Amino acid sequence: MKKLIMSLALALAMVVTAQAGDLVTIKGNTEGRSYHKSLYEEGCNYCHPGSPKKQVTDAACVDCHGQINDIEITKHLKMPEANPHKSVHYNQGASCLACHAEHTRKAPVCSECHRTWFDKM
Amino acid sequence: MQSRRKFLKLGAGAAIGGLAVASLPKTAAAHPSDETAWDETVDVIVIGSGFAGLSAALNAKRKKLGSILVLEKMQVIGGNSAINGGWFAVPKNPIQLSQGILDDSPEELVNDQMIAGRGMANKEILTKVANRALDAYQMCIDAGVEFRKDFNIQVGGHNKARAIRTKHGTGGDITTKLYEAGRREGVEYRLQHYIEDFVRVGDKIEGVVVRRGYRFPDQGTGELVRIKANKAVICASGGFARDMKLRAVVDPSLDPTLDCTNHLGATGEVMLSAAANGALPIHLNMIQTGHWGSPDEGGFGWSNALLSIGWHEGISVSVLSGKRYMDERTDRLTASTAIMNNRYSDGSPAYPLVFFNYNDHPDDDRVVRALRDEMAWKVDSLEQLASKFNVPLDALKKTVKEYNEHVAQGTDPDFGRKMDTAKVLKAPFVVSRIWPKVHYCMGGLKTDADGRVLDARTMSPIKNFYAAGEVTGGVHGQTRLSSCSCLETLTMGFIISEAIKANA
Ligand SMILES: Cc1cc2nc3c(=O)[nH]c(=O)nc-3n(C[C@H](O)[C@H](O)[C@H](O)COP(=O)(O)OP(=O)(O)OC[C@H]3O[C@@H](n4cnc5c(N)ncnc54)[C@H](O)[C@@H]3O)c2cc1C
Repeated sequence: MKKLIMSLALALAMVVTAQAGDLVTIKGNTEGRSYHKSLYEEGCNYCHPGSPKKQVTDAACVDCHGQINDIEITKHLKMPEANPHKSVHYNQGASCLACHAEHTRKAPVCSECHRTWFDKM
Repeated sequence: MQSRRKFLKLGAGAAIGGLAVASLPKTAAAHPSDETAWDETVDVIVIGSGFAGLSAALNAKRKKLGSILVLEKMQVIGGNSAINGGWFAVPKNPIQLSQGILDDSPEELVNDQMIAGRGMANKEILTKVANRALDAYQMCIDAGVEFRKDFNIQVGGHNKARAIRTKHGTGGDITTKLYEAGRREGVEYRLQHYIEDFVRVGDKIEGVVVRRGYRFPDQGTGELVRIKANKAVICASGGFARDMKLRAVVDPSLDPTLDCTNHLGATGEVMLSAAANGALPIHLNMIQTGHWGSPDEGGFGWSNALLSIGWHEGISVSVLSGKRYMDERTDRLTASTAIMNNRYSDGSPAYPLVFFNYNDHPDDDRVVRALRDEMAWKVDSLEQLASKFNVPLDALKKTVKEYNEHVAQGTDPDFGRKMDTAKVLKAPFVVSRIWPKVHYCMGGLKTDADGRVLDARTMSPIKNFYAAGEVTGGVHGQTRLSSCSCLETLTMGFIISEAIKANA
């Protein structure tokens, strides 16, 4: 586990961003985030402990990336209010999974109302 | 364990789909008081994490009712409350007093609400709620909620300025703080926990069946577990304005083209499960609609604020004819009906336009935000407006010319509009499109004044079962007044936790 986190940290350091990257083909029909490639070398178990069919929880994200408020957004924001990690509606009360997905593209939860503020992630 | 899960899944699977979601009571009754049938036991279960749920959980904790578990189906805390406009009615609030308004009182507020309720509101509950307004306000202040400095105004249907507003103009200012306070004090919150059913044994709700790891809106996700509540199950699951099927069943006049201001999870399954377990639902057809919606933004958005300029200073025209089609300052129902008459021949909405002079408000927050978020546009001429929105130009020009003459005369011979705030129209214009949106459900579960859910067959409380907030019905009657849901949802947390304490 430690080794995994280390290699992930290294990957992150190299691109100087905390984003999970673009969707790339990982294996067969499965797509995943480019910066998570090293995780896939160990199979699915890191994010889906027990079984690949098991639903992922935030723990999988938080282990490496930290808590929502500590993660800086390095992407260009349309305006300061559009920072989803400091949302006036949800703040810490939002799951990572509300906005992020590993194997598909997902629109952030805010774009439901603020249609012009966000690109798909 | 394994086989029991499978068994439960089967029972629930049969119940999903269609309107009547409920119906595990049969499996529950199969092992009435068999402790081992529970996966977990807590003292109080709270369903939903909006104002009502957050306040009930925090107050239950403070009343020392034991372990408190909040279950929320979505991936975010807060429901409608988190996206709400942050208006909060508090008679005798400190800002009101500092403005020299000394003659307000809970009774005054209740009087206003009784008028709006048109004989269908519940005076006892409204009074109990109004009497706790300052407690709810203080709970917010203690949790670190910030309200706008010196801001207290009179909103629609109130006879006095008594509505304060959160700093950012959203209920999220309150939900985030109450959530943090609850976490500090030991309330446990779980996201992605969908209440599938209640477990009723005899005249008592013993617990809930929950889909753990649920991923909205996919009914097949997650696994079923049963959680027991020693002291209370508090239903704070909100309204059902997003439940298109249920909405249409209880009020067929709600046109399917009407969007909704609510968060996506505002659906009625918990209320229906409660009903299937004997609770009495009332006033379900009383659903509030706003005629100030814009199809170019989600949710509530900026449209209502923008139209507070547009209705007064500008005009609304039909894209079909280039003509005005109503008194822009008429009441909600008349306006909604007139707006919805604008349709193409296939029945699809021909969204009417509202426009007013840009140069009168270039720096107004309402205009700046609307243009920024592309739910309104600045156009430099009637020609540009006509071509952008496909309006017959000659008719449009004629409409504006005649309207400007009416402004000069101060009368509106066409629709009898009050013209005291009308302005002569002169390009450039701010223009937006409009269509009504469904907003609030007055109806829901019938409770007594302490929030105990009543059994439809006996009219007496179902033991251990409470409800608060928009999921309840019969409180506001025909119309809920602005800023009063915030008040009701937050205060019921005090009232219910006291009732549980008294019962326990
Ligand atoms: C855009 C908007 C603006 C508003 N502005 C104002 C205002 O300024 N002032 C005012 O007083 N009122 C306002 N209202 C009304 C008010 O916000 C709502 O009536 C109020 O927030 C309802 O609170 P609640 O706790 O009852 O429900 P909610 O806040 O909706 O919370 C209910 C929660 O229960 C969850 N839930 C539902 N079903 C399940 C299930 N099966 N299992 C688990 N969880 C479930 C939902 O996901 C939700 O999180 C506004 C409403 C909207 C939509």
